[in-house]
Amino acid sequence: MAYYIALPFFTILLVVLQRTLLDLLFGGRIGVEVSLILVIYAGFHLDMVRGGVLAFLTGFLLDCVSGTITGLYTFAYVLIFLLSYLLSPRIYGERMLFIMGYAFLCVLLEGLFIFTVYWSVYGTDVSQGLLRTYLPQALVAGVLSPALFTLFNRLEATVHAGEAR
Amino acid sequence: MFKKYLAVIVAFILIAVSLVILSQSLRRPGNPGVVKKLVFEVTAPVERVINSGVGSVSGAWKQYLFLVGLEEENRELRKKIAVLQGEVNYYREMSLEGSRLKKVLALEDSTIYPAIAARVVGNEGSSTFRTIMINKGSTDGVKEGLPVISPEGVVGRVIETSWNYSKILLVTDYNSNIDALVQGSRAQGILQGGGHRLLRLKYVQRTEEVKADEAVITSGLGGAFPKGLMLGTVVRADKKDPGLFQTIEVVTSVDFSKIEEVLVLQTEKD
Repeated sequence: MAYYIALPFFTILLVVLQRTLLDLLFGGRIGVEVSLILVIYAGFHLDMVRGGVLAFLTGFLLDCVSGTITGLYTFAYVLIFLLSYLLSPRIYGERMLFIMGYAFLCVLLEGLFIFTVYWSVYGTDVSQGLLRTYLPQALVAGVLSPALFTLFNRLEATVHAGEAR
Repeated sequence: MFKKYLAVIVAFILIAVSLVILSQSLRRPGNPGVVKKLVFEVTAPVERVINSGVGSVSGAWKQYLFLVGLEEENRELRKKIAVLQGEVNYYREMSLEGSRLKKVLALEDSTIYPAIAARVVGNEGSSTFRTIMINKGSTDGVKEGLPVISPEGVVGRVIETSWNYSKILLVTDYNSNIDALVQGSRAQGILQGGGHRLLRLKYVQRTEEVKADEAVITSGLGGAFPKGLMLGTVVRADKKDPGLFQTIEVVTSVDFSKIEEVLVLQTEKD
């Protein structure tokens, strides 16, 4: 229960920090989508209900604060979570190279999905933007993902310890 | 039995709910629900606190580097230059319009709209979506669709409002389309965002002579923006691509990474 109570506060803090401090660290040029790496982590480590709620909530919050079409991030995050969840029993998701490559692919997938919606709904060709925005973002996510996985692992252990008490 | 299918049920519910949210948003854009308004109200103050903290630290560092007072003076002078540039642009536009129409129209007083001054509380430069958050909402009179400007030129338009905060779609967003006019040649087109400071002026006929460094302003068509507001400057215009229209690139007059205060124009007549 404590997990579901703490989740909204944690996700709000994560989204705000991602939009402010992390954005500032990279000079507002490259986005660091820690939230997406968290969703991938949830797909590999959490059960369907916990992870699903986390993916949904994080995506929805991102939609609220920075998106122009509500539901884009929500849907993309839910899909990426489900993909990771389905892959988790089949793949050993602790190898560093795998985590890096998978995070890289997921960011590109997210970008492809968002730009496809733009193209199909508004008829806007944003293919150049896909490369300019999402390729560096995917590279950064790939590089940072093993460290973030370790961080989330520790966080999860703390939450479990708190719930056990 | 139920536990066996729990994962499938939850997955189905999550997909269904997110699809409903997405389709509702596409069908009725600019209509944030109460939940979204509440999220605005909760996240914006947190963001403002973090931003002000970060801003004050970086401000102190800058002041140390550039000596006390020099930074402040520089900022004031830049503001004055921006205001004067806006005025020059406005008078140039008025002069051109006057000389063109002096025999046809009686000169009317230019319409001055009331404006709401607001502070930028959230500005994520690296996001795919180019939006900012301001600290004025529906209780201050901000409504969806109102134009937002700064001394340098057009910033964007209001797309969502909560009670005390609003989200602004910047002119640089892919979703932004503004009826525009090249000031010198009077060529008309649609200025579309490109995700960064370089915009595209679309649907300008190949017969039009557009040159680099010409100012691009709002045309007043479409009703969202009043005529004559500065949008940017032409950086490239070429007719190499086949088709009816030429390729024109425009750089925005506003530097969105440094924007701090904006004005929301109340162009709607009650």
